[in-house]
Amino acid sequence: MPELRKDPIIGRWVIIAVERARRPKGFKTAFSIQDEGECPFCEGKEAHTPPEIFAIRKEGTKPNQPGWDTRVVPSKTPFLRVEGELNRHGQGLYDVMGGIGAHEIIIETPRHIANIADLDEAQIAKVITCCIDRFVDLSHDERFKYMLVFKNYGWDSGGGRVKHSRTQLIATPVTPKRVKEELLGAKKYYNYHERCIFCDLIRQEIKSKDRIVFEADDFVAMTAFASRSPFETWILPKQHSCDFSSMSVECRLHLGKMLKKVLTKIKIGLDDPPYNYILHTAPFRKKISKAGYWKTIEDDYHWHLEIMPRLTNPAGFEWGTGFYICPIAPEGSAKYLREVEV
Amino acid sequence: MTELRRDPIVGRWVIINITNPKKPGDFKVGPHHYDDATNCPFCYGNEYMTPPEIQAFRHEKTMANTPGWQVRVVPNKFPALQIEGNLDRKGLGIFDMTNGIGAHEVIIETPYHAKDIADLELPEIEQILDMYCQRSRDLAKDKRFKYIMLFKNYGGAAGATLDHNHSQLIALPMIPKNVLEELNGSGKYYEFRERCIFCDLLSQEYEEKERILTQNNNFIAFCPFVPRFPFEMWIMPKAHKLFYSETTQEEISELAKILKEVLLRMKIALNDPPYNFIIHTSPIDGEARPGYHWHMEIMPRLSRVAGFEWGTGFYIVPTPPEVAIKYLRGVKI
Repeated sequence: MPELRKDPIIGRWVIIAVERARRPKGFKTAFSIQDEGECPFCEGKEAHTPPEIFAIRKEGTKPNQPGWDTRVVPSKTPFLRVEGELNRHGQGLYDVMGGIGAHEIIIETPRHIANIADLDEAQIAKVITCCIDRFVDLSHDERFKYMLVFKNYGWDSGGGRVKHSRTQLIATPVTPKRVKEELLGAKKYYNYHERCIFCDLIRQEIKSKDRIVFEADDFVAMTAFASRSPFETWILPKQHSCDFSSMSVECRLHLGKMLKKVLTKIKIGLDDPPYNYILHTAPFRKKISKAGYWKTIEDDYHWHLEIMPRLTNPAGFEWGTGFYICPIAPEGSAKYLREVEV
Repeated sequence: MTELRRDPIVGRWVIINITNPKKPGDFKVGPHHYDDATNCPFCYGNEYMTPPEIQAFRHEKTMANTPGWQVRVVPNKFPALQIEGNLDRKGLGIFDMTNGIGAHEVIIETPYHAKDIADLELPEIEQILDMYCQRSRDLAKDKRFKYIMLFKNYGGAAGATLDHNHSQLIALPMIPKNVLEELNGSGKYYEFRERCIFCDLLSQEYEEKERILTQNNNFIAFCPFVPRFPFEMWIMPKAHKLFYSETTQEEISELAKILKEVLLRMKIALNDPPYNFIIHTSPIDGEARPGYHWHMEIMPRLSRVAGFEWGTGFYIVPTPPEVAIKYLRGVKI
């Protein structure tokens, strides 16, 4: 019997359709696209990217020269551009504004490695430091309200053709709809219970253990109760915090370790599938406290990372309803991932 | 340079590439390839391979589950939801859940293995659209259901698992989230202005003329001002109608004409791309929603949805609707 589950935060229903289940190996996977020409992200090819915005590099080395560990550059094909005015206006029924924003690429390693799972934890911690540095810097720009950090790994996840590990970040002039829904859901729960819904969720999950993938230090990884895709996994800090940029240096190392563990389990267990991950964190708070809304955000929201292996292909039904059909129960996928030896 | 546009109904923003629009040839899709028809459960003579039919339009004197049908409806062999049982809602700590009660039917559109709607004759398309109405009306009698969704996945990249053309119907025990957003948005507008937002949207389209592909007595086809996908098309009844299932015979023949034209233009202009269409109609929960207006959304699957779209609900549209419409209009049919 299939089962319908509701995400308690944003109210999205999903269908856990175990009768339609396929074994993990039955999904289409892999990274079949070949590199086209030379990789512009490798050490020594710095001239092939726009000039760097930020880098963690060895002392005595110059910008846009070899000697870096992680490097942030503007996207060559940005969705949004940093120069210009917002120019909000109406057109009849519709609202329109200029495509202003920042779109940057974090090159995660100087070596030609495709999957962040294959980097060591200290290197991943440096990637996290880059994200934090960019977050703090972009939060000063009055035009921006939100910064999304995400990764597309593999062609089917929307990743590029170059097999060199990188994360993208986009600062937007409006708080995106999905983010707003999540913030609103968390706030509603807080208004009623005076507790953070994510903290409650972590407590319940740790107690039941059914969906826990891995727990260590100050992080927990679990499959989502109302998963949209098979093996959807969330990583949450156990300590309440609404903003990932407040992470301590030690915490970044722990997150690096956790991310490596979970992504390696996914890589081994699911035959190197394409995946996306998305960082969910509070909007730029300087801006929002000025506007007077999201007053309780520091108490009601809890930053986390959502990892979605792209094993199924959302079709007409998912687009039309916002319902997702997940062919594997999250308890089964958690058990499977727990048992993958890393 | 890009432009941000906001959908006035659900509040979604999209990013539209204004200065460097992608042309039809820039998308690497199609043409559609049909697998061999042997062992196709939807072909004549293979009726035994599907669960027994629920309804069919067939020649007189032919028996159920034998050849001789034109449109045939069967339960989905691998249903996402099951029809038997009572709805059993329950909580699990902070989580809500229910058993998966619902109907999941497959509408086999044609006995031809390798023909899509665009390739069919008008009377054949009318029968498909009529079947949609009949199944919707039948399932609406079941009090457990609150919403009926009709949709089609064409091509593997759009989620189709069988090549033989078919659409699907799912009846749900709750109103799904995306539909709820649309209902809320249009309801709010109606409350404030006492007008239907979709009717207002059509007036604006008639006036601007920039995004209309074609129209007839009862229907209009246009590229929405705020699409999620390049070359997205909407077909809407010109009159204010809430339910697809109340479409009359006369309207069905007009709808068949416009649907065929849109799909044919898309097929030619975009090299037979994979696509989805979805019929957005009012829920059947008994509540009055005077501000809603049924319509059909057709979405060619030309680009991949990546982390950014997942995370934000923002869509990036590489071809503005004003440009897409020119390519579709330019097709000779």
